[in-house]
Amino acid sequence: MHNDSPLKAFFVVVVTAIICSSLVSAAVVILRPIQLNNQMLDRSRNIMKLTGLVEKGVAPGDEEILELFRSMDVRIVDIDRAVFSNELDPLSFDQRRAANNPDLGVDIPAGQDLSSLGRRSRFTTVYIVLRDGELERLILPVHGAGMWSMIYGYIALEPDLNTIAAVTFYEQAETPGIGDQIQRPEWQAQWQGRRIYDETGELRFAINQGKVEPGTSTWLYEVDALTGATVTADAVTSMIHYWFGSHGYRGFLDLLREQGYAVSRITGSTG
Amino acid sequence: MTSKETFLKPLLKENPVTLHVLGICSALAITNSLTSSLIMSVSLTSVLVMTNVTISLIRRHLPSSVRLIVQITIIASAVAIIDQLLTAYLPDAAKTLRVYIALIVTNCIVLGRAEACAMKRGPGASFLDALGNGLGFSIILIIVAVIRELFGNGSLMGYRILELVHEGGWYEPNAMLLLPPSAFFIIGFIVWVIRSWKPEQNEEAEFKPAPLPDSEKR
Repeated sequence: MHNDSPLKAFFVVVVTAIICSSLVSAAVVILRPIQLNNQMLDRSRNIMKLTGLVEKGVAPGDEEILELFRSMDVRIVDIDRAVFSNELDPLSFDQRRAANNPDLGVDIPAGQDLSSLGRRSRFTTVYIVLRDGELERLILPVHGAGMWSMIYGYIALEPDLNTIAAVTFYEQAETPGIGDQIQRPEWQAQWQGRRIYDETGELRFAINQGKVEPGTSTWLYEVDALTGATVTADAVTSMIHYWFGSHGYRGFLDLLREQGYAVSRITGSTG
Repeated sequence: MTSKETFLKPLLKENPVTLHVLGICSALAITNSLTSSLIMSVSLTSVLVMTNVTISLIRRHLPSSVRLIVQITIIASAVAIIDQLLTAYLPDAAKTLRVYIALIVTNCIVLGRAEACAMKRGPGASFLDALGNGLGFSIILIIVAVIRELFGNGSLMGYRILELVHEGGWYEPNAMLLLPPSAFFIIGFIVWVIRSWKPEQNEEAEFKPAPLPDSEKR
C-alpha cells in the first residue's frame, strides 16, 4: 500500500495505538502489586517512627514493620461529630480522595481555612498505640499548603492529648535545602515535649522566628525557626493551628479528655 | 558517518544540551541532587534508545501526514513504562522525580533524535545515536548536579562531604545553587567554555544591523 494513502495512515495509527496501549497496560497491571506494597510500607514506616515502638537507631525489616503496624489500633474518626466511626474501613480509606467527594468531604469556612485547604475529608484515620490497655500515643494526620506544595505529616500526642511526642512530614516539595528542612530529623526532634494548648485551652503552638530560649514564657509551646524558611515555617504553624483548632481535631480531643482518656471507654464508645 | 562517529559525536562535538540547547528544562529542574540526575539520565537514555530504535524500524511505513502523532505515541508509552518501573522499584526517587519523568515526553532531545536520526537511518545507527545523545545529556546533567549538590548542600548523593555550619561544621552552603536559576548559570558557563575551546560551535548571528542609508550618514 502506498505510504501516502489515507487508509495506510489510519491503519498505522490504529496499530501503533493498540500496541502501545497494551504495553503500557501490561506494565501497570504487572507492577501494581509491587507499587501498592511500597506505598503501604512507606506509610507504615512513617507512622512507626512516631509510635515509640521502634527503638532509635534500629532499622527494622519490611516484615517487622508490617507486623508492628498491624498490632496498632487503627480507627476512623468523624471529625465534625467528634466520634469514632465504624462506617468505613480504616485501612482502605483514602482521606485525600474523600476530601473531594460530595458526601465524604466538607468545605472549610473561609475564615477558618488557615492552611488554604478549601475542603477536607469529614473522616480521618487515626492510629492508637496501646500499652497494657492504656493509651500510650495517639497519632493524627495533618496536612496544609506550604510555600510551593501540600505538606503531609503525622503528629503523635502523649496520653494528655496536648504534649507532642513526635512529628513527621512525609510528603512535601518545599524549596530544596531551605523549606525542605522540615524533614530534618534533628529539627523534628525538637517538637518532642512541646505543647499545643496552654492551661486555659488557648492554642499556643508556634514555630518561633528565631531560637527558642528555655525558660521564657513561650518555650513550652515553641520550636526553633528554620533558617531562611519563614514561609514554610509559618505554613506549618498555620497547619497545626487549623488541625488543632475548632474546625479540626479540637472537639474530638476535648471529648476524649472528658472521657478521662480511658481506652476502655474509647473502645466502648465505638458502638 | 561511521558507527564510532555516530556514537561519539553527541558526547561533546554535537552535545544535545550545549550545542543544540535541547533538554534544558529537566537539566534545570532536577540537577540539585546527584541521585535525581543519575536516575533522570538513565531514564532519558532508556527512553531515547527504545523510541529511536522502534521508530527507525517502522520508518519506511510511517506516512508523513501522521508521522509526529505516531512518534509521540511511542515516546509517551516508553515514558509511561519507565515511570511505572521507577514507582515500583525506586519508590523514594520516583516520589521526588514523578513530574519530571512524565515530562520526558516533551524533552526536545527525544523527538529531535526521532526526526533527525531515526526517520533517516537504520536501527543500528539509531541505537548508537540514541545512546550517544543520552550519554551526552547525562554528562552535562552530572557535571551540573555535582556542582549544585556539593556546593549547595555540602553532600553528594546524600552523603555528607562538606560539614555544614548549622550542623557544627565549617561550610556555609550556597543556597542559590539549589534553586533552578543556578543551573542556567552553570550550563551557560559550560557552553561558554566549550565554545571558546571549539569556536566552530558558535552560531552565526541571526540578524546583522542594516547599514545606515546614505541620507542619515553624517
